[in-house]
Amino acid sequence: MPFSTVFDQLFTVWAAIAGGVFVLVTGIVLVAVLINRAKRRRKLPFRASENKPVELGYVVVLAGIVAALFYGSYQANSALNHGKGLAAETTTPAARIDVTAYRWCWDFAYQSAPVTVTGTCTTNDFPTVVVPAGQPVEFNLTSRDVVHAFWLPDFAAKRDAYPDHVNTLRMVFPEEGRWRGRCSEYCGTHHVTMDFYVRAVSPAEYQQYLDSGGAAV
Amino acid sequence: MTTTAGRSTPTEPRPGVKAGSVVGWLASTDHKRIGLLTVGTSLVLLLVAGGLAMAMRAQLTQPQLEVLSNDLYNQFFTMHGSMMIYMVMTPFAIGIGLYLVPLQIGAPNVAAPRTTMLSYWLYLTGAVVMLSGFSADSGAADHGWYAYPPLASSRYTPGQGVNLWIIGVALSSLGMLLMAGTVLWTVLLKRARGMAMLRMPVFSWSIVATNLMVIGAFPTLLVAVGILAGGRVYPDMFTENIWNIGYQHLFWFFGHPVVYVMFFPFVGAVAEVLATFAGRRFFGYKFLVLSLLLFAALSMSVWGHHMFTTGQAASNYYSLTSIMLVIPAGIEYFDMLATVVGGRLRFTTPMLFALAFLPQFLIGGLTGIMVGTPALDYQMQDSYFLVAHWHYTLAAGSLFALFAGVYFWFPKASGRMLREGLGKAHFWLWVAGTNLTFLPMFWLGLNGMPRRIPTYLPRDGFTTENLIATIGAGLLAVGGLVFIANVVVALRRPHQAPPDPWQAHTLEWATSSPPPTFNFSERYPIPPIRSYAPLLDLREQEQSSRAEAG
Ligand code: HEM
Ligand SMILES: [Cu+2]
Ligand SMILES: [Cu+2]
Repeated sequence: MPFSTVFDQLFTVWAAIAGGVFVLVTGIVLVAVLINRAKRRRKLPFRASENKPVELGYVVVLAGIVAALFYGSYQANSALNHGKGLAAETTTPAARIDVTAYRWCWDFAYQSAPVTVTGTCTTNDFPTVVVPAGQPVEFNLTSRDVVHAFWLPDFAAKRDAYPDHVNTLRMVFPEEGRWRGRCSEYCGTHHVTMDFYVRAVSPAEYQQYLDSGGAAV
Repeated sequence: MTTTAGRSTPTEPRPGVKAGSVVGWLASTDHKRIGLLTVGTSLVLLLVAGGLAMAMRAQLTQPQLEVLSNDLYNQFFTMHGSMMIYMVMTPFAIGIGLYLVPLQIGAPNVAAPRTTMLSYWLYLTGAVVMLSGFSADSGAADHGWYAYPPLASSRYTPGQGVNLWIIGVALSSLGMLLMAGTVLWTVLLKRARGMAMLRMPVFSWSIVATNLMVIGAFPTLLVAVGILAGGRVYPDMFTENIWNIGYQHLFWFFGHPVVYVMFFPFVGAVAEVLATFAGRRFFGYKFLVLSLLLFAALSMSVWGHHMFTTGQAASNYYSLTSIMLVIPAGIEYFDMLATVVGGRLRFTTPMLFALAFLPQFLIGGLTGIMVGTPALDYQMQDSYFLVAHWHYTLAAGSLFALFAGVYFWFPKASGRMLREGLGKAHFWLWVAGTNLTFLPMFWLGLNGMPRRIPTYLPRDGFTTENLIATIGAGLLAVGGLVFIANVVVALRRPHQAPPDPWQAHTLEWATSSPPPTFNFSERYPIPPIRSYAPLLDLREQEQSSRAEAG
């Protein structure tokens, strides 16, 4: 499943639970503040300073909540193949792209053709990586210097890029379009402008792009 | 294990040194003085770290401002975060334990007072060394508060700032390790007659759990900054992945427990304040103590949740342990709420801060479950959502609780009362300011604003939220000034605080304000201890004997 679908579904549920708990707790505090004012009460509402059965029962309820939350977390993470995205075993990527991060821009190199994309990440010179829409794409992320991170906020997808290590990120861009990607692991002075773009085109245009050696499509 | 009162401890001021002089303070081996020095130093540094935050907020008010250059902004967020964590919240947490625990357990002083004094000196030196980075040619450290290599190596961040940062962190962490050790030792060996472990106040227990985590986690930080120091000399070592990812594991093995070091003592303070101003015994004492210990133990197993996007940490395992924190946290909330629900509430300034802590910290906790869920964290990590999350825990949560504690114990420590009117003005400014500052950041994060960026573009769509956040920060600054005025006005007046201005529960309120050198005296003896609320016991006894007589 796409990162953003998993994110949206789970976030909705988690936010609803969080909202419910917040309203409950804040409600209890506010009601207590209103009705338990010392001016209004001569005696304590109740004197007990413990209640083992209630507390034990509550711990059991909490354990149940933990189990449910972890189940949701586990399912979602499995759907995302632990952050790698689509499982390569079931889907052969239509494009494999080596991504090298460095201070302070990105290089993209296609494995199936001698095409590379780069830029300077200064005014209007950001690299645009072209991918086929609707087909699995694999990014192999590494770094030439410090730790960076490859983040596509519109797709809720992020993976770190390390020197001496390759991280894989597989995803499908369902439709044609152009999106901004950013470096999200702080890497020094020009971290803020370390952007790139992903452009998804039809598979035919994509093939044409590779055949022409990376000429604009 | 009984009291050692009466045995002479080396805490008398040395002959020839006036107790009230600067030397008398700095060379003191009285836990109250060392504790106040630690807490006072951390509050001054809070002002420094807060000032840096205000400058950052000014820079981010609108797109493309040029209040701070990229490099200066990077130094500011690094020093703001580093100061807040290593030099403000952690030392305050451990230092207020040093001040209060001997009083609360009826001990005349801390165990190993000279080592404790040394620990303050290490902390102070560390803080000065770290801050002195601003006077270096290339400026202060600018690699962020967790200083990931290879960025923090001499190849990518040359200059003295990082070296000073490493030395500063090492010195002050060593100091905190020593201080945590001596306070823990005090708890084990110096409790008064009748003060069984399970009669120690909730706050003292929170310090026990805290100091256990310090002892478990801080040595790892020393190893981690040792690796960084290695990378200052041999930057090549960080061309190998194992050192980079290894550093992250070591760092976060310290880094998560330290988050709770900056949390537990403040929960402990809130618990005491709630019970006092609810006029009742704290509800669920035993479960709370257990939950604190469980919390401390679990905190050592969750570190990898900071590393979900590294692709090099077992995400499901760390998600499980992180979500399990719901159990101890849930118990704490239950007990605090039950105390409020079962009380007669008096709305003093400390009580207001403690009450606001409950919903505000909760926002931090609930969003913590979100970022502890890998599928969500892949989006939220290193975005403003995360910035909002931890500021809700640390600023809206711990800092509010810190001020609950400051307003509560200020009369005890100084012998003077703070003004309620000024206190309440501070409170309301901060409730508004905190939420205006940090709530919009959740939306910024979900809309794709990365953390640690010095500016943004008009077309990014981040402008409105950032403007609101900066306005909120302005209210925080005004509130801070109100607090300073309150303290200055109070300190200029003569001692007037009674031993127990609040009708509180624990032993420190049985002695004078401020307490005498050895905490209790013939005039202020330790009352009988039969529970974790000995002064409440006394009041209840008086009431029932009066009822019988009448
Ligand atoms: C009271 C008002 C506060 C304000 C207005 C404030 C504001 C900020 C701002 C603007 C940033 C930079 C965000 C970025 O660029 O990524 C930041 C970072 C940070 N703040 Fe605060 N903050 C406050 C209090 C605190 C407190 C009480 C703590 C507690 C320990 C804290 C800990 C941190 C940390 C650890 C960072 C991250 C530094 C880094 O990225 O290395 N802040 N804060
Ligand atoms: Cu970067
Ligand atoms: Cu953590």
